Amino acid sequence: MTEQEIQDKGYANPDALVSTQWVADNLDDTENFRIVESDEDVLLYDIGHVPNAVKIDWVEDLNDPLMRDYLDPEHFANLMAEKGISPDTTVIFYGDRNNWWATYALWVFRLFGHDNVKVMDGGRVKWEAEGREMTQEVPSFPRAEYPVPERDDSEIRAFREDVEQHLDTSGPLVDVRSPGEYKGELLHMPDYPQEGALRGGHIPGAANVPWARAVREDGTFKSADELRGIYEGEAGLSGGEDVIAYCRIGERSSHTWFVLSYLLGYDNVRNYDGSWTEWGNLVRAPIER
Amino acid sequence: MEPTLDRKSRIALLVEHFESPRHKGTLESADVVVPGGSPECGGSVTVYLKGDGNGEVESMTWTGQGDIISMGSTSIVVDRILNENLTMDEILDEDYEELIDSVGRDIIRNRTRHATLGLSTIKAAVRAYKKQLARR
Repeated sequence: MTEQEIQDKGYANPDALVSTQWVADNLDDTENFRIVESDEDVLLYDIGHVPNAVKIDWVEDLNDPLMRDYLDPEHFANLMAEKGISPDTTVIFYGDRNNWWATYALWVFRLFGHDNVKVMDGGRVKWEAEGREMTQEVPSFPRAEYPVPERDDSEIRAFREDVEQHLDTSGPLVDVRSPGEYKGELLHMPDYPQEGALRGGHIPGAANVPWARAVREDGTFKSADELRGIYEGEAGLSGGEDVIAYCRIGERSSHTWFVLSYLLGYDNVRNYDGSWTEWGNLVRAPIER
Repeated sequence: MEPTLDRKSRIALLVEHFESPRHKGTLESADVVVPGGSPECGGSVTVYLKGDGNGEVESMTWTGQGDIISMGSTSIVVDRILNENLTMDEILDEDYEELIDSVGRDIIRNRTRHATLGLSTIKAAVRAYKKQLARR
C-alpha cells in the first residue's frame, strides 16, 4: 500500500496514516520522526521490531503506578526525553492486534498535546507479512528536550460524570466490546477479577460496534465509505454530534476514537476510559441488556 | 528451569515454548475441561485433565490463545508438572510467586496475570476434578 492508496480510501485526515512503505523509506530519519511500537504482547518488540523503533508499553510506561489514571506531565516529559522525542518530533505508532495498543498510546500522547502523531496502516502484522526488515537491536537516541506539558483531559477523554450527563441528553454512545460483553452474557472473566464488573450489559442507548470491524483482514483500516456504512449506517452516529466511546478499560475504544476522529473527521469524540470496569461496578448506574 | 538465566535467554525460552508449545491439544478422555482467562485480553487457556482416581495426574493437555508470556508460561508449567509427575495436591501447592521468579520477574513486571493464567487454570481444573470425584 502506498500513500496514494491511503489517499484513495477517502479519509477526512489521510495524513494521520502512513504506509509500511513510507516507514521503510523514512525509518532512518530519526531527526524528524520517531517510530513507536506499542503492543499488547509486550515481548514482541524484544523478538523483533521495525529498525529504529522504540517501545512504549501501555502498562509500564503510560499508567500511573498507583492511582487509576495515566502518567502525570512530569513523567510524560521524562518518557519523551528518554525516547529522544521532542515536541516537534512526529511520532509514528504501530503495534500488534490491528494497532489496538498503538492507537491507545497515540490517544495518551494527545492528552499531553503531542499532536504530531500518525499510525502505520496495517501495523505490525502487515510489516511482517510483507517480509520487511525486523531487528532486535534497541536504538539509542540522544536525550531530547521536552518541556513539561499541560495535560488536557477535557477534549478527548470522558469521565463518569460526562457519561451521566450524556445519558440525560440522550447523546450518542458507542460500545466497542464484543456482542457477548455488550449483551451482558459475559459477566466476569475468570482470572481477571480486577478487570471484571459486578454487573453485565451496556450503558443505556449505546450502539454496539466491535472495534475490530474498522479493519480489514490485512490489518489496514477500511475505507471511509465502508467505515461510514458501519458507524453511520448501522450504528446511527454522525460527525456533528458529541460521541462517547467505551469498552472495558478504554483501550479498544481508543481505536474507535481514532477511527471516528481522524479517519471520519468527527469533531467531538471522547474516550470513556473508565468504561465498563467503572460503569458495571457503579451502584445504581443504569444498565441495559 | 534455571532461575539464573539472563533476560535474553528467559525471553528465548518463553518464545520457544510459545512457538512449539508442549502438550497442547484437546484430550478426549479428559475428566474435566476447565477454561480460564479472556481471549480479548492477555489470553485464554482451557485445561484438559484426566486423573487416576488416586490423586495422580494421568494426563493433561491444554489449548489456548494469547500473548507470548501467557502461552509460553502455560507450556512451561504443564511441561514441568508432567515431567516431575506432580500429584494433584502438589499442583495446588504450586506457588505463583515462584513461577513468576522462574519465568522472569523482570520480563513479566506488571503482567503477572498473563504469567499465572496457565497455572491458575490448571489449579481450577484440579479443584473441579476433586469435586467431581467426591460426588461419585
